[in-house]
Amino acid sequence: MSDFLQYLISGLAVGCGFALLASGLVTIHRVTRVVNFAQGMFAVVAGLTAGSLLSAGLPHGLAEVAAVAVAGAAGLLVGLIATGRRGTSAQSALIVTLGLGFVAYAVEIMIWGDNPRSHPGLGGSVQFAGAFVQKQSFLVIGVTAVVFAALWLFFNRSYPGKALSACASNPYAARAVGIDVTRMGLVAFALGGMLGGTAGVLLTPMLPISYNSDVLLITNGFAAAVLGGLNRPGPALAGALVLGVAEAMVAGYYEAAYQTVVALALMLAIMIWQSSRRTALQEETAR
Amino acid sequence: MKPSPRVLVAAAVCAAALAAPLLLSEAQVSVYVLLLLAACVVTGLSMLMGYAGQVSLGQASFFMVGGYTAALITTHGRPSWLGLAAAPLVAAALAALIGVPLLRLRGHQLAFATLAVQLILLNLVGQQEWTGGDIGLQGVPRLEIAGYEFATDLSYAYLALAALGLIALITRNIVASRPGRGLRALATSEVAAASSGVPVATYKLAVFSLSAGFAGLAGGIYAFYIGYVAPGSFPVLLSFEYVVMVVVGGAGTVYGALAGATVITLLLQLLNNVGTMEGMPAAAPTVLSYAVYGLLLILIVLFMPRGLVPSATGWWERRAARGAPASDEPDAAPVRDLARTSP
Repeated sequence: MSDFLQYLISGLAVGCGFALLASGLVTIHRVTRVVNFAQGMFAVVAGLTAGSLLSAGLPHGLAEVAAVAVAGAAGLLVGLIATGRRGTSAQSALIVTLGLGFVAYAVEIMIWGDNPRSHPGLGGSVQFAGAFVQKQSFLVIGVTAVVFAALWLFFNRSYPGKALSACASNPYAARAVGIDVTRMGLVAFALGGMLGGTAGVLLTPMLPISYNSDVLLITNGFAAAVLGGLNRPGPALAGALVLGVAEAMVAGYYEAAYQTVVALALMLAIMIWQSSRRTALQEETAR
Repeated sequence: MKPSPRVLVAAAVCAAALAAPLLLSEAQVSVYVLLLLAACVVTGLSMLMGYAGQVSLGQASFFMVGGYTAALITTHGRPSWLGLAAAPLVAAALAALIGVPLLRLRGHQLAFATLAVQLILLNLVGQQEWTGGDIGLQGVPRLEIAGYEFATDLSYAYLALAALGLIALITRNIVASRPGRGLRALATSEVAAASSGVPVATYKLAVFSLSAGFAGLAGGIYAFYIGYVAPGSFPVLLSFEYVVMVVVGGAGTVYGALAGATVITLLLQLLNNVGTMEGMPAAAPTVLSYAVYGLLLILIVLFMPRGLVPSATGWWERRAARGAPASDEPDAAPVRDLARTSP
């Protein structure tokens, strides 16, 4: 029983990291219709930056916030390049973000080398109903809860957030009422970068990351986001938690090596199930 | 009768490809073999991306399946020609099998799904006893067909060239056929194609498994040439490289695939030489190659979305049309316009 609880909580914590990543993906896709392949890169950049800042002597908290800001700047840059040129289709933008991922690899290897890195998070563990749980896990879950609450408030209760939602639901109407859709797209990218960065900063103490961790991060984030059709943060959160817990259970009770296989198979099953409820006609008119 | 420029170009490319291995040094021939194998995979992927409008981010998985098929068959004592013959068939059969559910997805969903398939296959292959786990299968014997043993780099260069020639011929004939027109139609709009009687699902599956078969054949040759297969030889990045090659060369043309594979391979080789020069840091070759991949991909997608070859032929035709108002090849332009389908 205590094993179960331990796997459950660490699974939820990792799932929360995926949820933050997925919410960034959703924020960007809602507004710009671009699937951002560089989303995992934001997490990697933030995680590595936080490590460097900490070892340079910055206190905890400040280093993490600065790293998230760096990831936000990276997001803005990605947005500028992927959507800044007029007439770039969403499909081309996906390939551009893939290319930006390569450029980021070059920069990351130049700065941090190619070995996996980690930085200390909230040390120690607590005993909780017979299970030893890392304190970092609770930190991740708590921060994610706060971020999702703030996101909900931002999108539903503030003018910039409502403007973003307006662009998401109908770009033409949004432009008609005077919202700059292109600029809102860039805001979405910056926000997505910060969300990805938060995930990276929180996950790095639990799972060491290297420059090419982004492929696994983005596939997990995508798997979670796809549950909500890449447009709704709520189902993305649910999907990410299920994914994180499923992976932790497979690793705990069966074989750690198969945990990604389970996650990916789950994602394929969900996508195929969703596509069976959609016709080609609906997809082409939605384009 | 004067031969058309198209025939002349084809003849020149063939002559250069046949002469190249004889003129190159040993180390260069091995790069040439890998270039040809990449071109085999890229031709299939280019057809999938350019004609069927589907992006696969997992094409290296079929390359891997081909390699493992050839290696498994020959290391179990079966004749090596059987391994080479089975490699494309197994890869195509696997693609046909997973394509049934997978090809219901489109666009970015299919891209992620194919990526997921590769990650799953890599993970499984790395775990199984009979595939040799992370170490892979060592000691794949040399290929032997009808008593002739392919032992030198030169023999593999001609083998790969023969495979590429076969693949290019098949692709060309499919593209020019009635199903080829159906494929172009479904890349533009599946609904419109289906309403005009194109069997959309069947054609998509056929192209998907054909492109997988091409990759499998290349993988089989690779296994015999290198002599071992391991999961580390088929990383996800290899799949991305193939996409870069397709995009750079121009999706949907055989020449584009050849040009893309050639340009990228040569560029990487050049960067590798620069990166390993004295005084460069140890990480320089990797950093340079990633940076160039990324920048090239971004610049081509943003500023030359049709790719190198279609852009170059378009420029040439416009220039020729300006020079001689009565075009001597009036039917060439519309055909090429149809072939232009950007993903």
